[in-house]
Amino acid sequence: MSFKVVNKLILAKDIKRLDILAPNIARKFQPGHYVSVCPEEGDERVPLSVIDADPVKGTISLIFLEEGQTTTKLGTVAIGESVFSVLGPLGVPARIEKTGTVVCIATGIWTAQILPICRGYRKTGNKVIGIIGAKTKKTLMLEAQMRLSCNTIYMTTNDGSYERRGLATDVLREFISKNEVNLVYAIGSADMMQAVCGLTRDKNIPTRVQLSPVMVDCMGMCGSCRVKVGGKTVLACIDGPEFDGHKVDFEDFHIRIKSFEELDEWRSRKSQLNPKKNESKTLTKFLSDFLKN
Amino acid sequence: MKDCPLGIDIPAFIRFLREGHVASAYDKIKEKNPLPSICGRVCSAPCEVACVLKEEGGVVIAIRALERHSADYGKSRAAKRESQYNGKKIAVVGSGPSGLSSSVDLTRRGYAVTIFEALDKPGGVLRYGIPEFRLPRKILDSEINDIKTLGVKIETNFFIGQTATLGELFKEGFAAVLIATGAGIPKFMDIPGTHWGGVYYGEEFLMRLNLMRPGVFSRQSPNFALGEHVAVIGSGNTALDCARVCRRYGRKVTLLFRRSEVEMLVRAEERGYAREEGIQFEPLVRPVEILADQHHFVNGLKCVRMDYADADVVGQWELAPVPDSEFVLDVDTVICAIGHKPNALISHFDPALKINKDGTLKVDGESGLTTIPGVFACGNVVSNAGPLVAAMASGIEAAQRIDAYVKK
Repeated sequence: MSFKVVNKLILAKDIKRLDILAPNIARKFQPGHYVSVCPEEGDERVPLSVIDADPVKGTISLIFLEEGQTTTKLGTVAIGESVFSVLGPLGVPARIEKTGTVVCIATGIWTAQILPICRGYRKTGNKVIGIIGAKTKKTLMLEAQMRLSCNTIYMTTNDGSYERRGLATDVLREFISKNEVNLVYAIGSADMMQAVCGLTRDKNIPTRVQLSPVMVDCMGMCGSCRVKVGGKTVLACIDGPEFDGHKVDFEDFHIRIKSFEELDEWRSRKSQLNPKKNESKTLTKFLSDFLKN
Repeated sequence: MKDCPLGIDIPAFIRFLREGHVASAYDKIKEKNPLPSICGRVCSAPCEVACVLKEEGGVVIAIRALERHSADYGKSRAAKRESQYNGKKIAVVGSGPSGLSSSVDLTRRGYAVTIFEALDKPGGVLRYGIPEFRLPRKILDSEINDIKTLGVKIETNFFIGQTATLGELFKEGFAAVLIATGAGIPKFMDIPGTHWGGVYYGEEFLMRLNLMRPGVFSRQSPNFALGEHVAVIGSGNTALDCARVCRRYGRKVTLLFRRSEVEMLVRAEERGYAREEGIQFEPLVRPVEILADQHHFVNGLKCVRMDYADADVVGQWELAPVPDSEFVLDVDTVICAIGHKPNALISHFDPALKINKDGTLKVDGESGLTTIPGVFACGNVVSNAGPLVAAMASGIEAAQRIDAYVKK
């Protein structure tokens, strides 16, 4: 089966949206599912959450940030070309039931991940409050879609270039102190989710988070996505990505994520990646030194 | 001959080889073994353990090497086997050794077999679990191509349970489903510090190497953090594979295991290879804690020496830690390869599928059926950890059972 890219959009700086033809996945999509994408044979597999699916056309939409080698490569796939493999849908779909007022909070690239959740909660008849945050106005994305899928929306930017200046968690703190909230759904960086869980733990509001640790095969076979939830080691790829936020051990999660982040730094070093280039550099250096003398 | 789980006629094929008929020897093996060139490389060779010449004090015949020779040199061009299609479709979940061998057997019986594989390439554990130097990818690909020419359809990127459930498979018209998902889930270690950066599980480590960039061994650096001194914990084949891979990257490797070297779960031959390559063995050692530096990366491994205590009831020697023998190994990467659990993930999505306490699928001993009618299971998902040949033999047995069930 070929996974053809039927549409591609650039949403913000380094953020792209791909619509990929994958009828088997589109047929089974529920909010909270993710897929494992491998742009070219022999590449790393990246888990990307499915934003939207069209069972009639048989397409799924993915939004991703070009940060690593693999996602950059995925971003260069043009319309009409194919992706090597897309496996899915994976993970347990989000538990969506009628609870009342639901606050969906997300920052940065994770705004894309919260969108299907917001839509799901809205559809089941909840009052959905959306809080999205970004660094600047340029990286704030999916504003229109979020406006449509939330009853009320609050937007923040870190530098104050759009709407409100500040962090998304500040808005949440204000909101839960004034209003009654039945559920908080948070997706974001480890720090942000930890902060949200800290706020809601005081108020005793049930909180759900989606964890996105590093995954290799996404089928529970490698154990690289192990996280500690409620004192037990679980695999985020099959038992998650949705977890009870108050039970997640964020310290542990932070270390797990960090151990691969530092690797990216290490990998992007030219000398590691391309020893030959380095050699030629030393040769020119040697020659220039030689000529100087 | 009795000791080969597949029942290959070993004296017959050796006789052919002696007379110089390599192709006939290959055909003889192929009668019982659908993957001879793979078995010739990675089989645990129970036949050599039971070789009659050993008792007489002679040299043991290297049956595995002979099998490999006849598979490499006696292979004819793949011919399509004439088998009458009997109008029944069978789905096989997983394209590992047991899935492949059962699908070959089923095709010979006239069924149209479709293998569903969740990864992007077929082969299962042969592809992601066994490093390139033990089983070259070319050999694996050619074996799988042979199976494809027989008429077996392989659907990759298809996760049974998520992409389609078992119920949907039956709706599609499959007469029976065979679950051959194997045992690939790592056992977690319960020592403090397994969450630090630089701690990998054997499966994760091998998968990263095998699935990403084929042929990484040549001069390229691995695409993840691998320290200068690696400690591998475990005494199975996975542990030895990990250790040898690290060694091939030029790392200093120490292999730690709880029991003595003679009790290791691998063949003496493999052990010899590892030793030749310069892997340091540390028998009778138990890891206690993984230490980390301020960046949360592995800094050392605290171990304790073990020694034999009194014999316990089962017959194995009980091990007890030696007092005051704690020492810290100066390592910067730890790979844990202490065993697998059966991959019964499919029961997450089909709760009607019952599993036993040890994680294996509940299977009726006589018919081979699981708790859902029409769904069979074979291989390591039933037997937990077993050698490759045993998994293949159970795949062939399951094919016979499916045949009996569908014809009934």
